[in-house]
Amino acid sequence: MAEENKNSNTDENSKLIGLVAQFDDPDSLVQACDQARQAGYTKTDAFSPFPVHGIDPALGIKRTILPFIVLGIAVGAVFIGLGMQWYTNGGSLGEFSTDESPVFPGYRFKISGKPYFSLPANIPVTFEVIVLSSAFATFFGMWFLNKLPMLSNPLHRISRFKRATNDKFFLMIEQADEQFDRGSTEAQLNEWGAVSIDECRRDLTDNNLPSWLRLFALMGAILLLLPPVAIFRAMGMTSRAPRLHVVPDMDWQDKSKTQTLSPIMMNDRYLFADERVMRAPVDGSVARGQLDADTELYQGIKSDYVPTVSLTTPQGSVRTGLGTQDEAEAAPPVEDVSMYITEFPKEITVDEALVKRGQVRFNIYCAACHGYAANGDGLVNQRAVALAATGKAQWTSAKSLHDATVSNAEKNPLGRIFETISNGRGTMGPYGAQIPTADRWAIVAYVKALQETGIKPVVAVSDDESGEGSEANDTGESASTPEDKTQPTP
Amino acid sequence: MATVNPILDNTYDDAGERSPLILGGLDYAGVTDEVCGIWEADKPPKIWFVVLGAAISLLMVLGGCVGHLLMDGVGVWGNNNPAYWGWPIVNFVFWVGIGHAGTLISAILFLFRQNWRTSINRAAEAMTIFAVVCAGLFPGVHIGRVWVFYWLFPIPTEHLAMWPNFRSPLLWDVFAVSTYATVSILFWYMGMVPDIATFRDRCTTKIGKFVYGLLSLGWTGSARAWHRYEIAYTILAALATPLVLSVHTIVSFDFAVSQVPGWHTTIFPPYFVAGAIFSGFAMVVTLLVPVRKLYGLENLITIRHLENMNKIIMATGMMVGTAYGIEFFIAWYSGVPYESYAFYNRAFGNYWWAYWIMVSCNVMIPQVFWIKWCRTTPWFMVIICVFVNIGMWFERFVITITSLCRDFVPSSWAYFHPTWVDILMLIGSFGLFFTLFTLFCRFLPVIAMAEVKGVMPRPKDH
Repeated sequence: MAEENKNSNTDENSKLIGLVAQFDDPDSLVQACDQARQAGYTKTDAFSPFPVHGIDPALGIKRTILPFIVLGIAVGAVFIGLGMQWYTNGGSLGEFSTDESPVFPGYRFKISGKPYFSLPANIPVTFEVIVLSSAFATFFGMWFLNKLPMLSNPLHRISRFKRATNDKFFLMIEQADEQFDRGSTEAQLNEWGAVSIDECRRDLTDNNLPSWLRLFALMGAILLLLPPVAIFRAMGMTSRAPRLHVVPDMDWQDKSKTQTLSPIMMNDRYLFADERVMRAPVDGSVARGQLDADTELYQGIKSDYVPTVSLTTPQGSVRTGLGTQDEAEAAPPVEDVSMYITEFPKEITVDEALVKRGQVRFNIYCAACHGYAANGDGLVNQRAVALAATGKAQWTSAKSLHDATVSNAEKNPLGRIFETISNGRGTMGPYGAQIPTADRWAIVAYVKALQETGIKPVVAVSDDESGEGSEANDTGESASTPEDKTQPTP
Repeated sequence: MATVNPILDNTYDDAGERSPLILGGLDYAGVTDEVCGIWEADKPPKIWFVVLGAAISLLMVLGGCVGHLLMDGVGVWGNNNPAYWGWPIVNFVFWVGIGHAGTLISAILFLFRQNWRTSINRAAEAMTIFAVVCAGLFPGVHIGRVWVFYWLFPIPTEHLAMWPNFRSPLLWDVFAVSTYATVSILFWYMGMVPDIATFRDRCTTKIGKFVYGLLSLGWTGSARAWHRYEIAYTILAALATPLVLSVHTIVSFDFAVSQVPGWHTTIFPPYFVAGAIFSGFAMVVTLLVPVRKLYGLENLITIRHLENMNKIIMATGMMVGTAYGIEFFIAWYSGVPYESYAFYNRAFGNYWWAYWIMVSCNVMIPQVFWIKWCRTTPWFMVIICVFVNIGMWFERFVITITSLCRDFVPSSWAYFHPTWVDILMLIGSFGLFFTLFTLFCRFLPVIAMAEVKGVMPRPKDH
C-alpha cells in the first residue's frame, strides 16, 4: 500500500504513523525489541498472538497501576457493602436509627430475635459486593488503561498485520519517536532481523464522523430518556384514576363476594330465587357446636317460659351503642323479668374455681369500664366522663354494679345479668360473641360475689391521688386490695 | 516450525521430560487453523444440526412449562406440604454445582500454574455460564410474580417500602449467584477477546467482520495491552477463586442455616463445594469428549487432559464419599435423636432407593478411575461421568426431599410426588444448556488459542 508515498511522511490523503516490522518467532521479536530500546527508541510497541514472556523489560514497559485501582475499589466496597446492609436493615449507632430516615428509610424487622445488624450475618453479602466491584474495576479498568475499545486502528489496514492474532510477531516504531527516520529506521529493522516491513498510515480522507451522526445520536439519546422519565413522573405523582395495570396481581377475581347479589344469571334470572350470593343453612339444620336450644344455659331464660305480654325477646334488645341516653330512656325495652332464671343453670357448677375464672374474665372484659371493684370507675369510663364533661363526647356512664338496680336479685336476676353480658344493655355493647357461654356464667358468679361483699370505692383514683386509700393500697401485703377483699368464700 | 512430535500417547510420565500438552506437532498457525477450522467450515457436521434440533425442541418444552408456570402459578409444581422445596431447588443446586468447574479450571488451576488447563478452560467457562443460566432459571421462576423479581435486590422503591432481609441465606444466595454469573461472564469474555480478534482477522463475511470486530474491541495484541491484560486476568482469577468457593458455600447455607435435621450441619459448605467440583468436572468431560471427537481436536484436548480431569473427579468423588460417612458419624456421635433418625431414614427409610443411587453413582462408580484404561478411554469415561451427574442430581434430591418429608411434625410426614411440569422442566433445562453450548461451539472459539500458544514450547527450543 502507498508505495508512491514511501518517501514522504505525510501527504494529502494519509499520514505515516510508523513502521511495522514482522518477525516469525517470539524470540527474535524480543531481541529486536531489546535492540530498539538500546538504540534509543521509546515510542515502540510489539504485537503478538499471545503474551510473550520477557517482552516487558525488552520494551521497557512499566508495571501497570491496575492492581492499585482494584485495591482502592475493593476497600471502598467493604464500606459500601456493610453500609448498605446496616442502612437497609435499620441498624443503629447509639441514638441514630436508619428506620427514621425521611428518604427510603431502613426497615427494621426482628427475626428469630437476631440483632438488626451483626457482622457474621453480613459477611457473605459484603464479600460478594467486594468481589463484584473488584471484578468490574479489573475488567473495565484494564480496557480503559489499554484505551480500548478502539474500533478504528490504522494497523488493521495492513494485510500482513492480520497474522498478529495468528502466528506472527510485529514490532512497531512510531513516527512520533524522536529517533525516527524513515530510511535509517527501516535499515535498523532489517538489521535486527525483520522478515518484512510495512508502513502504517492513517487515512486522512474519511476519519471524521459524518456531521449528521452527532445530532442523530444526541436526539436518539434524548428520545430514549423519555420513557423512563415518563415512568418516573407517573410513579412520583398521585392519580385519581387507576393507572395502566399491567399485572393484575389477583386484583380482579372471578368470584362472588359476600353480601352481594348473585351475578350468576341463568335465562335472565338470578341463579337463586332469593338473588343472593350467600346461601342460608337448610331449615332445621344446626351447625356443629351451634346447638343452643337450652335457653337456660344459652340465654338465661327459663325453659318453661312462654312469652305472654311482651314480644320483646332478649335478642331483640341488642343495642347498637350509638343511641344517646335520652333515646334509651325514652324507649325503655319492655321486658318480663320473670322470664329470667334466678339460679345458675344445672350445667354450671358454682365453686371457687368458677368464681376465680369469672374474676379473670371480668378483669379482662368488664373492668375497663366497670372497674376492678365493679364500682363503675374503670379507666375508660373515667376518661370518657372527663371528655363528656368538656362537651367533646357523649357518654353514658358505666354503672356501678353495686347499684341497687343492678344488685337487686328480683329486678335483676342471674339470667338477666347473663343476658346483659351476652347482648349488651343501654350503651353497653354485647359480649356474647367474645366470651364463651361458660365464661359468661363465670362472670355472673363473680359479679354476684362482688355484690355480696359490697365493696365501696377505696379511693377515687383519678381525682384524689394523695388520698389515704392509695397509700393503703401501696403499703404492701398487710393492706388488702379490693381484689383480695372480693375473694368469695362459697 | 516445530518438529513433528512422534508421541501419540502423552499419558505416561517421564521424569526426565515434561509430557507435551499439544500433540500432532502443531505450531502456532496449526493451533489457529485447528480451532478456527471449526468455525470456518461452510457447514457444521450433520450431528451438530441433530444435537441443536433436539436441544431446541427441549428448550421449547422448557419454554412451554415456564409459560404454564407463570400463567397458573407455582402450584403446578409438586412442591407441597411438607416438601415446600422440591425439584426446583434440587435442579438449581444441581446446575449451579455444575457451573463450578469452569471457574475452577480457569481460576484455581491458573493460579496453580497448571498449564494443561489452557485447552479446556474456554469450553469449561462457557459451560459454567450456561449452567448458571439454567440454575438461575429455577429460583427465578419460583418467586411466583417474576415481573417484580427486582424486589430481590436492595432497590429503593416507595412502592414496596421494604428492603431485603440481609440476615437470610436466601438473600446471600441472590448476591452470590448473581455475582458469580457476572464475574464468570466477565472472565469468559475477557479471556475470549484475543481469540475473537483472531476470528475478526480471518473472517471473510461482512456481517462476521462487523460482529467480531465489535466484540474484539479493537484488540491488536499490543505488548502493553497484553501486560495489563495478564495482570487483570490474574486479578480476576484471584477474585474468582474465593468467589467460586463462596458460591456453593452460600448455596449450602440455604440448607445449613435452617434447623431441619439432616440440613443443620457445619460440614455442608466444604461438602457442597467438593460435590460441585465433582459434578462440574464430570459435565466438562461429558461435553468435551464428543466435541473433540466431532471437531478432530484430539491434538489439543489430549488424553492427558481427560485423564487429569478424571483424576480430579475421582478425588472429589472420594471427598464427597467421606462427607457422606462423616454425616452419619456426626448423626450418631451428636446423640441427637432427630439427627440420627434423619440419617437412618435417608439410607433405610422410604427414600432408600434415591440414597443408594446417590452412593453408587458418586462413591462407587468413580472408583473405576483407579484403572488406567478406564480413565484414558474416552467413551468409557463419558459413561462414568453421566453416572456421576445422575448421582449428583440424586444427592441434592436426597438432601432436600428426605429431610423435608420427615420434619419435626410427624403428622405432616408425606411422600413427595413430582408433577409432569417438574419432570419436563428438568429435561427442558438440558435443552437450554445444550442449545447454548451447541451455538457456542459453532460461533465462538472453543479453545483458548492465545493461551494454548502461550504454553507451547517456543519454536527455537526445538
